[in-house]
Amino acid sequence: MKNFALGRYIPYNSFIHKLDPRVKILGIVLLMVCVFLNFTHPVVNDAGETVKATYWTMTAIMQGSVFVLSILLLWISHMSFRSVLASLRSLWFTLIFLLVIYILVPTQTVMQLGLAWRVEAWNWSVYWDSFADAGKIMLRLMNMLMLTMVLTGTTKPLDLTYALEWYMAPLKVLHFPAAEVAMTISIALRFIPTLLEDSMRIMKAQSSRGVDFAHGNILKRITGVTSLIIPLFVSSFLRSEELANAMECRGYDPRAKRTRYRLLKFGWRDIFGFIIPAALLGLYIWWSVDSSVFTQFVLSGVVLP
Amino acid sequence: MPVKFADVSYVYNKKSPMAFEALKHINIEIKEGSFTAIVGRTGCGKSTLVSHINALLNPSEGEVIIDEFVNSADKKKRTKKLKDLRKKVGLVFQFPEYQLFEETVEKDVAFGPKNFGMKEEDALKAAHEALLEVGLNEGFFKRSPFELSGGEKRRVSIAGILACKPNYLVVDEPTAGLDPLGSKDMMDLFEKVHQAGTTIILVTHDMNLVLNYCDSVIVMDNGEVAKITDPISLFGEDIEKYSLETPLLYKLVKDLNAKGKDIDVAKVKDISTLLDQLRISKEAK
Ligand SMILES: Nc1ncnc2c1ncn2[C@@H]1O[C@H](COP(=O)(O)OP(=O)(O)O)[C@@H](O)[C@H]1O
Ligand SMILES: [Mg+2]
Repeated sequence: MKNFALGRYIPYNSFIHKLDPRVKILGIVLLMVCVFLNFTHPVVNDAGETVKATYWTMTAIMQGSVFVLSILLLWISHMSFRSVLASLRSLWFTLIFLLVIYILVPTQTVMQLGLAWRVEAWNWSVYWDSFADAGKIMLRLMNMLMLTMVLTGTTKPLDLTYALEWYMAPLKVLHFPAAEVAMTISIALRFIPTLLEDSMRIMKAQSSRGVDFAHGNILKRITGVTSLIIPLFVSSFLRSEELANAMECRGYDPRAKRTRYRLLKFGWRDIFGFIIPAALLGLYIWWSVDSSVFTQFVLSGVVLP
Repeated sequence: MPVKFADVSYVYNKKSPMAFEALKHINIEIKEGSFTAIVGRTGCGKSTLVSHINALLNPSEGEVIIDEFVNSADKKKRTKKLKDLRKKVGLVFQFPEYQLFEETVEKDVAFGPKNFGMKEEDALKAAHEALLEVGLNEGFFKRSPFELSGGEKRRVSIAGILACKPNYLVVDEPTAGLDPLGSKDMMDLFEKVHQAGTTIILVTHDMNLVLNYCDSVIVMDNGEVAKITDPISLFGEDIEKYSLETPLLYKLVKDLNAKGKDIDVAKVKDISTLLDQLRISKEAK
């Protein structure tokens, strides 16, 4: 239950908290694109042809940099690294699963990292490349997770919706109901804590009736979960009905033109919030298209004296 | 054996900027067989306090001892068999009607006893007894709990706890949102359960109930215990600072005495004891 704190807004007053949500969304999206770039270089395969294959050194350094950057961002926004670690603990299973998949179905066309072991009886080889592949996906997952945490941990849900609405505004020309969608999202976000509170309360009530949510056999646990879900549904339906009535009583009209109490404003910080991720993405794209630059400047600096 | 809080503190959202100390060094003892009230303004920590008796919350500091069970800040000292503790301590939450989920009233009430290891038929029998006890007759047994009125739902959920036959019954604002008659019925029910030997811990706002039913009172203020006393001595003091209201009956007796009557205020708990006292003071003259 405590892991629910993961995606939650945590009120601090850091540099990142003060960024405009629109810039923050854009910046995080730009960084996420960096996470998904592939870096390849030409390799000669067994048949003597030159093909493009994953450039492992570069991938490691580039994704590692995003990882370090994400940790830095988490640190700047005062988020506890421990909660990240806690969420990673549950990713263990994913790592093993990925490893099994990549070992059984290697995706690489050219094995560059050598043979890990070989089972002669089945004529079956396992290459280190499979491990590298699994590692790459894991690193991506963690990077995505941390970047998302930076966004949701430093931005109030309502600010997020305002920002989304702002981005959807051009679609209004096409009669896309941007305001209604934003309203729906903000209502949904608004009720997440309420639902959590409700479920905590119901869990407590059922626990005092002898339900054990953590132990017991499957059948017992299913009854336990039912005793939580049904009251939760009932109270959610009641809530939504009450909310709908309250909105109607106050004359809410989804199509009406409305003004806003909190105005979003760009500040000097937002220049950094945009420039840094954008520059980084530019660099990443450039090097992912042309890895020779990376080899020349970075690796020669590292490997060659 | 009593329920004992030894230097208990509780912090919500520990180690985060939202950290909030809801209980501060609580030291209280609730005697077995008593009808104890816990009073204080909204948000002073009453619900947090009673959640500790059932080990739904673990103290951040100190320990709670309930008979042979220990609920301590120290993980190693904590009793592992929570089920036995929860069977012993029945906790009825504020607005308990939200916990109903079964298809029929009797099944819902039998849910608790079944969880505590009773056989199906025994659990149903206990459920029927509990339902009759809270004043819902056979006609209700097979109905869906969702089609009942608010007051009836609350009775069903209280029956759900009573059916587990707890030694301690903790009720958190059981009369909130009930009409006066309904709340009197509810309190008479708890009085009956108390007479049968169950220790009752009542969280409430209503001082009239405290005067009518309780034999000791714990006043909480801002996460601390402000006073441990009995109703009569409590109402003798200035209780407005805890945002409590003097009970009407107590005020009435005071006013009568001011007009020349001589009634022993300590002996007046309800209308019939008031009549007794009036008769006594008449005979004395
Ligand atoms: N789950 C929670 N998280 C954070 N704070 C809480 C939580 N539950 C209660 N509180 C806070 O703890 C204080 C005591 O709450 P509670 O025990 O429910 O008070 P009472 O029952 O006396 O009205 C309140 O100030 C409340 O805001
Ligand atoms: Mg309360």
